[in-house]
Amino acid sequence: MKPKLQTFLFWIVLVGVLILFFASNRNESARVVPFGMLESQVQTGDVRSVEIEGKRIRFRSHGRWYEVHGELTEPLLLELQDIGVEPKYGSFSSDSMFDGSRGIVTIFVISVVIFAVLYFIAKMRAGTGGMDLVKLTKSRAQDATGHNKVTFEDVGGCHEAKELLGDVIDFLKAPQRWTKLGVRLPRGILLEGPPGSGKTHLARAVAGETGAKFYVVAASEFVELFVGVGASRVRDMFETAAKNAPSIIFIDEIDAIGRRRGSGLGGSHDEREQTLNQLLVCMDGFQHDARVVVIAATNRPDILDKALLRAGRFDRRIKMPPLTRADRADILKIHTGKKPLGPDVSVQTVADWTDGMCGADLESLANEAALLAVRRARHESSEPVLRQQDFRDALKPRNEQTRLFDQLDSVLIESTSQLSEPTGRAVVRLQLRDGSSVEGNVLWADATFIKIARTDGSSLLVPKIQVLRLEAAAGTESVARDNVSEDRWSRGRADLG
Amino acid sequence: MDGDDFLQRFMLFIPVLLSLTVHEWAHAFAAYKLGDDTAKLLGRLSLNPLVHMDPIGTFLLPLMGVPFGWAKPVPFNPLRLKGVSMRTGILIVAAAGPISNAVIAIASFAALKVFLSQPDVLGEGGMFLLMFLFQVNVALCLFNLIPIPPLDGSKIVDGLIPDVARPAWEKFCQLGPILLMGLILAPLLLHFSPISWAIQHFIELFPW
Repeated sequence: MKPKLQTFLFWIVLVGVLILFFASNRNESARVVPFGMLESQVQTGDVRSVEIEGKRIRFRSHGRWYEVHGELTEPLLLELQDIGVEPKYGSFSSDSMFDGSRGIVTIFVISVVIFAVLYFIAKMRAGTGGMDLVKLTKSRAQDATGHNKVTFEDVGGCHEAKELLGDVIDFLKAPQRWTKLGVRLPRGILLEGPPGSGKTHLARAVAGETGAKFYVVAASEFVELFVGVGASRVRDMFETAAKNAPSIIFIDEIDAIGRRRGSGLGGSHDEREQTLNQLLVCMDGFQHDARVVVIAATNRPDILDKALLRAGRFDRRIKMPPLTRADRADILKIHTGKKPLGPDVSVQTVADWTDGMCGADLESLANEAALLAVRRARHESSEPVLRQQDFRDALKPRNEQTRLFDQLDSVLIESTSQLSEPTGRAVVRLQLRDGSSVEGNVLWADATFIKIARTDGSSLLVPKIQVLRLEAAAGTESVARDNVSEDRWSRGRADLG
Repeated sequence: MDGDDFLQRFMLFIPVLLSLTVHEWAHAFAAYKLGDDTAKLLGRLSLNPLVHMDPIGTFLLPLMGVPFGWAKPVPFNPLRLKGVSMRTGILIVAAAGPISNAVIAIASFAALKVFLSQPDVLGEGGMFLLMFLFQVNVALCLFNLIPIPPLDGSKIVDGLIPDVARPAWEKFCQLGPILLMGLILAPLLLHFSPISWAIQHFIELFPW
């Protein structure tokens, strides 16, 4: 029912009942009439009841009360008794305001009370249960089969990944070729790489190329406030995938749920751990479907649970390698393919300039250059054409400082959030640009400062700009670990020189 | 007469509910007119009593015979106000509630005066209802004007108080909820309700 209509009806009903109730008394106040009327009414036998209070007599006739002043005479009394009316002596009961329409009103009141109670019960239940409970446990995986027009050709670089994924796609398309040699399909493929290296992009390409069903979900979509929801969503997802086998599931940012179990600050990560356990079981538990392949992407492979990474689950780990010059050229060609390039543009030269940048950076570089070209064209009122100078200009704002801080921040975050002792603090060693060095506990860090508490109790505020090198000395996971891998992004050190 | 008593109480609950609805609606309306549509987006800019009902304040208290109650407070975001300073905005929105009740009170008082000379038009019950409506709205208006947080009155004072007196006011505000509790519980302990007393006397001031 429309809210306005509901409101209107509400008021009408409420006010109506109110008026009905209180006005029903309106005619109830006894009307004073001449004594003769009592006599005539008694004679016609219309008097139903009589009440007497002192010198006032009230009688009820034709559904109304009347009042006369005087006294009942003997003949009148006899006549009343003839018609079966016994006069009552005492204070008037008809002073009560409620009569007649009382029945209707009572029914109304009772139904309202019942309605109100039911309404509040329903609201209480809805308040704690939230949405429909059945829907809550359905997996949030989206079916992205053939969704995109992205193919492998649109992904530059990462050849090893493309090869393996190409194999997977082919296996799912035509398994005989592979099963003839007894090749088992890899159950899980983990794409590792820093942000922007093209992991999700590659997944989109797989979705575009494969003939099998492709499901995509972000790991954080499993977790909800209620414990157990994550696990049931995982189950639901695998069930759907198995039902529609062969199929590929892509779990993005798997480090959201795949963290090492039982580590980190605080203990109550039940929900995440339950979800993770369910994932492990579904991938390689007692029952699993061989025709479901899981591809996952992460940029924190170092914190993933070892059980997730063992052979039989995510045993194929593909690193998205830092881009070579040739890779960058390929990617740039892809991104500038649809843009009108001037004759002086050399993709190779731009590839030279962009050492260290990843795929996403290159894409935004091409975009920036195009933007500058359009701006210039507007000023000169000519056709927009990309020139080499546009790329040069687009590279200028690349602020070295922000990149450096990212590295610094990632080490700091790692050190303060992955403490090996839950109540310990991370000890870092900072080397500043002026040659001095600071060592102490990290109290806090924000965008531009780090606060260190030295061993002598004093605290020092260090601007990040002045930091040359930061080394995690104690109290963090990466220091507690025995083997520190050689990856650029999982070392507990940030070299900013 | 027990059934009658409950029935009457229930009937009298309706004007209380409707007065509270108008009060909360007035808050939402004032906010909306000043540029904050938070309440409107949440569906509170409505005269529908269900929207403003609160289990304790709207049901329990009136049905227990207490001649007032409260409704769910209207959500309000002072940052969204346009054209007025934040403090003035809060003042206006807060004042809108008691003002709406005052309007109803004055209207019912006027009606009472008109019909006092001819009581038979409305009948005893009708006059009683009008009187009750008048009393309830006076009560709601005055009660909300009490300058103790979190009542509307405190917000009004907050918007008017000169900077000189600010620190003292803030200190006072901290005691607010406790003071309020005391005021409400006074009838139980002292067998005397300062609120009712004040309201009665205020009503007597009217030009009957």
